[in-house]
Amino acid sequence: MKKLILLLFTCFIVYQANSQDAQTILTKVDQNMSSTNRISESSMTIHGKRSSRTLTSKTWAVGTKKSYTEYLSPASEQGTKMLKLENQLWIFSPSTDRIIQISGHLLRQSVMGSDLSYEDMMEDRKLTDIYTAKISGEEKIEDRTCNVLELTSKVADVAYYSQKIWVDAERFVPLKQELYAKSGQQLKLVELKDVKQIDGRWFPTTVIYKDILKGGKGTEMKMMDIKFDQPIPDHVFSKASLKQ
Amino acid sequence: MLAIQLAIKNLLGAGLRTWLNVAVLSFAFVVIVFYNGMLDGWNRQALKDTREWEVGNGQLWHPAYDRYDPFSLQEAHAPLSGEVVSLVQRKQLTPVLITQASAYPKGRMINIVLKGIDPDQQMLKLPTSLLKEDSGEIPALIGKRMAQSARLKTGDKVLVRWRDKNGTFDAREIHIAGVFDANVPSVDNGQFWIPLGNLQQMTGMENEATLLVAANTHTVQKTGIWEARDLDFLLKEFNEIMDSKKGSSKVIYFLLLAIALLAIFDTQVLSVFRRQKEIGTYIALGMTRAEVVRIFTVEGSAHSFLALLLGALYGIPFLAYLAKTGIPMPKSAGEAGIAISDSIIPVYSAGMVVTTILLVVITATVVSYFPARRISSMKPTEALKGKIQ
Amino acid sequence: MIRFLLKGILGDKSRSLLPVIVVCIGVSLTVLLNCWLKGVMGESLVMNANFDTGHVKVMTRAYAQEAQQMPNDLAILGADTLTEQLKKTYPDMDWVKRIRFGGMIDFPDEQGETRAQGPVVGWAVDLLSAGSKEATRFNIKKSLVNGKLPSTAGEALITHDFAEKFKVNPGDEFTLFGSTMEGSMAFKNFVVSGTVRFGSNVLDRGAIIIDMADAQQALGMEDAAGEILGYFTTNQYDNAKATAITTSFNAKYTQNTDEFAPVMLRLRDQGGMAEYIDYSTTMGSLMVFVFVLAMSVVLWNTGLLGGLRRYTEFGVRLALGEEKNHIYATLIYEGILIGTIGSVIGTGIGLSISYYLQEVGVDIGGSMKNSTLMMPSVVRAAITPTAFYIGFIPGIFSVVLGNALAGIGIYKRKTAQLFKELE
Repeated sequence: MKKLILLLFTCFIVYQANSQDAQTILTKVDQNMSSTNRISESSMTIHGKRSSRTLTSKTWAVGTKKSYTEYLSPASEQGTKMLKLENQLWIFSPSTDRIIQISGHLLRQSVMGSDLSYEDMMEDRKLTDIYTAKISGEEKIEDRTCNVLELTSKVADVAYYSQKIWVDAERFVPLKQELYAKSGQQLKLVELKDVKQIDGRWFPTTVIYKDILKGGKGTEMKMMDIKFDQPIPDHVFSKASLKQ
Repeated sequence: MLAIQLAIKNLLGAGLRTWLNVAVLSFAFVVIVFYNGMLDGWNRQALKDTREWEVGNGQLWHPAYDRYDPFSLQEAHAPLSGEVVSLVQRKQLTPVLITQASAYPKGRMINIVLKGIDPDQQMLKLPTSLLKEDSGEIPALIGKRMAQSARLKTGDKVLVRWRDKNGTFDAREIHIAGVFDANVPSVDNGQFWIPLGNLQQMTGMENEATLLVAANTHTVQKTGIWEARDLDFLLKEFNEIMDSKKGSSKVIYFLLLAIALLAIFDTQVLSVFRRQKEIGTYIALGMTRAEVVRIFTVEGSAHSFLALLLGALYGIPFLAYLAKTGIPMPKSAGEAGIAISDSIIPVYSAGMVVTTILLVVITATVVSYFPARRISSMKPTEALKGKIQ
Repeated sequence: MIRFLLKGILGDKSRSLLPVIVVCIGVSLTVLLNCWLKGVMGESLVMNANFDTGHVKVMTRAYAQEAQQMPNDLAILGADTLTEQLKKTYPDMDWVKRIRFGGMIDFPDEQGETRAQGPVVGWAVDLLSAGSKEATRFNIKKSLVNGKLPSTAGEALITHDFAEKFKVNPGDEFTLFGSTMEGSMAFKNFVVSGTVRFGSNVLDRGAIIIDMADAQQALGMEDAAGEILGYFTTNQYDNAKATAITTSFNAKYTQNTDEFAPVMLRLRDQGGMAEYIDYSTTMGSLMVFVFVLAMSVVLWNTGLLGGLRRYTEFGVRLALGEEKNHIYATLIYEGILIGTIGSVIGTGIGLSISYYLQEVGVDIGGSMKNSTLMMPSVVRAAITPTAFYIGFIPGIFSVVLGNALAGIGIYKRKTAQLFKELE
């Protein structure tokens, strides 16, 4: 999840839209993505049937393959840590002092009751690696002119066969994303808001993620703090650091 | 011969008492036949239903397939190889592809398995011809239990989400082409049956299957990677359940028979006690004690013959009537995971009836013998006087 | 007179012993069959009530809709208060909280990392409070293969087949990994206190039983429970009572439109049990009726024989000048006495054997996989209140009837003939 969101968060404006084709936009986004180390603090609000709750966490990430997340609040989640290396995922729970590997069908379960699965969270490939893009038009979202890109998967093992993505034509930030099944059935909706300039980049600081089939109010993520290009020692991404 | 004649005469002479004993014994006899017939009928019907609806004449399984572990489905599929394909073409096997999915009827999410089957298949009783509709939508058959729990009916549309072999999500509206009423819960609970071609295409598993069902003309054996699962294997639990039913019913026969035998035993004890003069007379007439014991034993066991006759008299019409109309069963009994129809047609096999007859006659003879054995220790002179010994 | 007759019965063994024995055997067979049938017919009912449905069950309306999915996010909040209320309002029932959940069990290696994982279904029941009957309902003591029942917090029972598959023994530690009521990750370490086998392959494939308090803590369900079950103290499902309680409870919430308001369901209302109950009740009663009828015929016969063989005695008594009516009356009284003695002893014997069969059961080695109803491999008898009196019907009534019929002969006797017989 973090990966996917960060991918969206780090969409970077380099070129003007009308001078570029869709594929180039995507390529630029990916280039910016993979070159970035970052440390971020974010919150996730999950709307349940009866109540809503908010979790906060801090994430260290290098490239797209390694990330380390520590939950800060609420108290019940504090100290829970997740380590992702390539396509493996471990979770440390302080109350049990155990490192548990999440694998197989467990990866398809929802994370913390949110609208994202571990698998959604694990997706770490560049958009250009998995999708081909074409521009299908121009639309306005809250007064911002967007290029609408249609992405179609070019590899087999991708969770969402196609996507529709609204990219701010000036800032090159995606403002809306629709994730589709092969049949064309929409599965998920991602809305990206509160675009701010951070370290010279335009960045959406709120992301709302909705499972269309499940219904409900969705899961809301807010980026409270994000720093790019920070030095992160390699030992952070080890199982030993989970227990610290 | 003399013993039998005497026995029958004595018995009939005793009138009401004999008929009471005979009535009870005949009743035990009829109930045992009835109960066994019901169980055999159930067994046969459930076996037939399970074979017709689900297991065929055995199945070939992908080695990774575990019917109780839905997570095994992710791995348990493979393309059909040459030999299997030719068996499928010769209609000796029909492939079934199984995959996990989620259905979203009316905003709820339920976990289901999608089962792909050839709409033209004739091997299983599933009304797959309903899947041949050509509306451009994916048609599905569901069982009545599934229909009830998902609150779906024929003509409804329901969104189903699945993943293809690479894990890519896909979702489509599926059209309920029919609801079938099968007595076999394991082809019903939590399942959608859709055309095999659709499922293969939907999952990208072209020409693949999870298992193959064998026709009655085909005996399963390991073919390529496909493991043979014969009926013994597939029906193992079914047979265990039947055995358990038979086990608990035996206790009932035992008690019922015990009552009838108690009556005979009681009568025998009294006969020996009351008819000492008669016994003395027999011995005085030159019979050996063993012969007298035999007369009394035969007399006791003759109850069982009369009981068989009497039982036949009312039992045959009664049992025949049940065989015609069937024995009504509760619908929910089917939810116990075993095939059961709304009514069971009892089956009375010759072997079962003969066994029951032997059981009744032998036990009646045994309980008749024990009281009669006392005769051998009687002093004939005392007996003649009718003195109680 | 009764004392005199009793003396006669006790003194004259030939007159009393055999009839008493026969009545006794007959009555005990009747009692036994009644209990056996009740046990066999009610077996899956009892299993269902104990494991799943209770005699009545309280859930939130939303939970009740999707009960099969174990939706703990829809559980009853304020479950302690509600349970107390139920205890106060319906004191003749045992009210217990339960949580059903799904999860993974993760077994650690020496480094505390995942060695193996397996999915389980779980029950949280009150195992540790004094006087809790939950362990009995789950029949844990008898299902225990290794180890012992949990005796402190943090201990759990897992099914034996599951334990074997993952090579786990009592004393080993594992982590239960699931999701809290809110949907967060739930982790809790447990020690295997023992392994159980229920004889139901559905469960034996992978199940865990933990104490309610542990589950509430692990699943973030403090003061919450998925279900509150009510059991009649007699342990027998009484549909009329259940209906009354359910109606009165639900009436309190008819105005409440909250989807999380509690709703009470009878055993009958759950999982297609209605038809099963009707069917097994009818079949069971029919069989008991038929059996009692058969037994009555047998004992009637005994009474008849008992009376008939005493014609000589009656002759002597008539000759001595005793009134025919008096003889007849004594005969009837004797029948009552013999019937009563036989029935009491017979019921005693029948109940003892039934009790044994209820507690120990008969292992018939069958079991079921893939089923929603649980099917046990051990068949047990069940002692119901009926068992205490059913034997007296054939025992007393039939013996007396037999004696009465036999006694008619007394009136037909002519004194002249009597003397002939006496010679």
